[in-house]
Amino acid sequence: MTTTLAKPDYDVLNVLALKKMAGAPAIAAVVELSPDDVEERLASLAAGGLAVVAGGAALPTDEAEPRLAATAAEIYAGVRGDDDVLALVEQFEKTNAALLTTMSSWQQVDVGGRKVANDHTDAAYDGKVISRLERLVGRLDGLIAALARHDARFATYATRFATALAGIDDGDHDLVSSPTRDSIHTVWFEFHEDLLRTLGRERAE
Amino acid sequence: MSAPGWTRAFTDDGEVDVELLGGKGAGLVRMTRDGLRVPPGCVVVTTACHLYLDRGALPDGLVDELRDRLSAMEAATGRTFGTGPEPLLVSVRSGAPVSMPGMMDTVLNLGLSREAAIAIAERAGDTAFMADLVARFHAMYSEIVLGALDERDAVDAVVARIRPDDDPADAYERVWAAAEAALDEELAESVPAVPDEQLRHAVEAVFRSWNTRRARTYREHHGIPHDMGTAVVVQAMVFGNLDDSSGSGVVFTRNPVTGEPGLYGEYLAHSQGEDVVAGTRTPDPVARALPAPLLRELEGACAGLEARHGDVLDVEFTVERGVVWFLQVRSAKRTPEAAVRIAADLLRDGTASPSRALSLVTAEQLRAAARPGFDGDALDEARAAGRVVVTGIGACPGQVSGELVLDPDRAKDRADAGADVVLARAVTSPADLHGMIAARGIVTATGGSTSHAAVVARALGTACVVGAGELEIDAAARTVRVGERVLAEGDPVSLDGASGELVAGALPTTTPAAATEAMDALLTAATQASGAAVLARVTVPADVVAAREAGATGIVTAVDDVLAASGDLNHLVETLLEKGWDGGGSGTALDEVRQAVARQVSGLLAEAGGADVDVRAIDLLADESRELLQQTAVTTRHPELALPLGVPALVAAQRAGLALAAAESGYGGRMRLAVRHVSDPAEVRALAEADGAGPGMGTYLTSPRAVLNADALAAHSAVVWLEVRALQAAMFGIPARQFLTAAPLDSYVARGLLSTDPRHAIDPSVEPLLAGLAEVARAHPDVPVGVRLSGTVSDAVAAQLYALGFRRFAVDLPEVRPLLLGLGRAALAQ
Repeated sequence: MTTTLAKPDYDVLNVLALKKMAGAPAIAAVVELSPDDVEERLASLAAGGLAVVAGGAALPTDEAEPRLAATAAEIYAGVRGDDDVLALVEQFEKTNAALLTTMSSWQQVDVGGRKVANDHTDAAYDGKVISRLERLVGRLDGLIAALARHDARFATYATRFATALAGIDDGDHDLVSSPTRDSIHTVWFEFHEDLLRTLGRERAE
Repeated sequence: MSAPGWTRAFTDDGEVDVELLGGKGAGLVRMTRDGLRVPPGCVVVTTACHLYLDRGALPDGLVDELRDRLSAMEAATGRTFGTGPEPLLVSVRSGAPVSMPGMMDTVLNLGLSREAAIAIAERAGDTAFMADLVARFHAMYSEIVLGALDERDAVDAVVARIRPDDDPADAYERVWAAAEAALDEELAESVPAVPDEQLRHAVEAVFRSWNTRRARTYREHHGIPHDMGTAVVVQAMVFGNLDDSSGSGVVFTRNPVTGEPGLYGEYLAHSQGEDVVAGTRTPDPVARALPAPLLRELEGACAGLEARHGDVLDVEFTVERGVVWFLQVRSAKRTPEAAVRIAADLLRDGTASPSRALSLVTAEQLRAAARPGFDGDALDEARAAGRVVVTGIGACPGQVSGELVLDPDRAKDRADAGADVVLARAVTSPADLHGMIAARGIVTATGGSTSHAAVVARALGTACVVGAGELEIDAAARTVRVGERVLAEGDPVSLDGASGELVAGALPTTTPAAATEAMDALLTAATQASGAAVLARVTVPADVVAAREAGATGIVTAVDDVLAASGDLNHLVETLLEKGWDGGGSGTALDEVRQAVARQVSGLLAEAGGADVDVRAIDLLADESRELLQQTAVTTRHPELALPLGVPALVAAQRAGLALAAAESGYGGRMRLAVRHVSDPAEVRALAEADGAGPGMGTYLTSPRAVLNADALAAHSAVVWLEVRALQAAMFGIPARQFLTAAPLDSYVARGLLSTDPRHAIDPSVEPLLAGLAEVARAHPDVPVGVRLSGTVSDAVAAQLYALGFRRFAVDLPEVRPLLLGLGRAALAQ
């Protein structure tokens, strides 16, 4: 048994591990492979004991994480040694904190010192939060571009952010923080997780 | 002054027309007319915006008019725009008739020419104060008017080096040059140093912001016309940071957390409004921090405002050298508990009319306020007994009990099996989502109130505690350790998402008495207005008590639900499979039905008092039964069960059981037994001809055919219910069970493939059927005709059904109060 994965297999298993349970079409949309191709790779990952496929959806097995980590260490050695990327990652930590704070102000408003669920009746308030989110997402451009220079797949995050923002502009406010859709927070959370795996770091919270 | 009409002073007479003055402008005019001391200013009206956007230049005469308005503001304040000895500074704000995102925000401190800046430093005796003001203005103008985004560390460094006694002219030059350099580097732009130009550009920027991409998209989505245009508010600045007799604050006319009467707010001496908002310094409670005469003035003004508006308000003010100025008055944001108490209090003391009071609470706030919390005594006891395992940071409020589970897969499995689950994790990753969705509560060892876990939990509305750092989760041993205490997976725990406490053991829940009292007062007013009856769907005796407390005038229940909850149903189905329908004697399936119904329903009737009880007969094909039963086996063996009167003896056995239950429990109200899927007058006649004593027979309409035949059906029914979900499902041709869950309809509707989401709105195709049924109800005043609604009921649906003429409703228990409120509002709006 090899200790590392082939590149497209890594991409597929990586997305599967981020989403935990996903069908081939959902994975294909993110990794820019055809659903048939993803289907095939899932089958071979399943044969290798890294995934379980049942009823059109796949799940990663416990073996998936260590294998992904070992593979990332190899294929992203260049990223981990790229000072440009590391400087941008440093900045990302600040932006990440600002994004989470902004997400929270989307969900809750301060009432006399207590946090209360935002009932979204104050369009001016919501508008400001959305504008701020858009700007914070814009601050990832540099990091995404720097990562994409090593591995083009990172560019899909920019596309996903743009799609979510366009949906929000169309009035679909679920696309701000809904955990069950490809919302700004979902994309951001997956990007953050992906970034940690790429760099071989642990999540702090 | 004879102004031609591009501008209006706050003090000018004339109609307060929001279309013309915008929301902000109209608000300031009203405040001025209310006698509040508002800093003088004027509104550039929306018609000027139309013209500007049409021809790309400000209307002729607007600049001169603004100059005249500034002169009036100069006269009123004793200050001069752009020069000393007392410079007048103004704020420029956008104010559309409807607030919308993407519009230009506020520019403060406009009017800082070199001369004005120097004069301000000299008047204040503080060059550092002026340097800060200049830097803030330049940054704000750059951001708002020119679109700059960058942080300006270099400018901040220059400002930080300036001392109060530095030479003002020199300081101004240094700050301005640094700010200009930063802006030039970022955008190759420049901020005009001449105040008149600053003002003109700011007004034009407001007008242009009407057409930003986001504002256009927003208008298109909300059907707001593009030619509405925005107004611009130009107002004299007042300063709370001049000296110790100045300051700024925000007050609520009542406590927005609890709803208690009395001013509630904060004041920060020697500060400008942004300092209070930014939280850089801690403000003091107004009652302590404001000098007595000012506090009295504020209290008087707030009482007057509350009486005029019939609502609790949030008031922003600034004190400049001992004089209070009112900057903004808005409806106050509040907690759900406060919303209910405030509405009830204002209704009682006559400040708000019933229709006003009911408009002060949303259905969502009512649901939240009615949500049961931990019993106070039990919680105190648990605390005293040392059962609080750990206290983290409350991230999403909610008080829940459940079994402790340590991984998301198991959380999902246990929840699927019907258990309430509290999920404990060291950290959460995106891959934990399925477990977080399944859990009633989430607790994590790491993270702050703005961690990913907190964001996800809030999006899900799940009680959540984060940052419970002492929690050591041992995945291998399947235990949680905190110091000496060890909890094992599966142990009952309770979680408070507000206080952050994790408590060992399950805690009982209740609705707080104070909240119940306030809700009752409001809902009584609502019911008086609507004259509607709302019945609650229940399955166990405790539900009946809760239903009556919530204001339900009766209950609806279903024999299969009751028997499933009591555990009788499975045995019944086994007997049926084994013995079929034969015979009615002891030990047969029919006898078992009769006995079980008598036994279980009598418990409900005992709690019902004299309230109406409508019982739906067993429907083994219903979606609700599908999960519970070996349904396929039963219906394959007994296809006659698919028809409402396929087994007449089954209906008769239930009726006999209900008669026994009524006798046993001493029930004295009206009870009826209704059969689902009936659609033919012949079926109803057959039901009505039932022999012997027992409840009257009625119908549950589920199909378009039944609704179209409703007139004939009602003629022979003791009661008629329409199941809206079933009817909508039939019209859409989608199985009704798909209406109960998020998947698959959420994404289907999001793709724009259905013009109506049948879970949340009544489809236009269904409306004529409903109108026909409402007509039938009017034609048969002696037959109760009601509408059964599933899940949460929106105000829009309540209003629609009320307008059609329906006055009898049945809903799930938690929806009784929100529906009573919605119907009351609908009645008062008519």
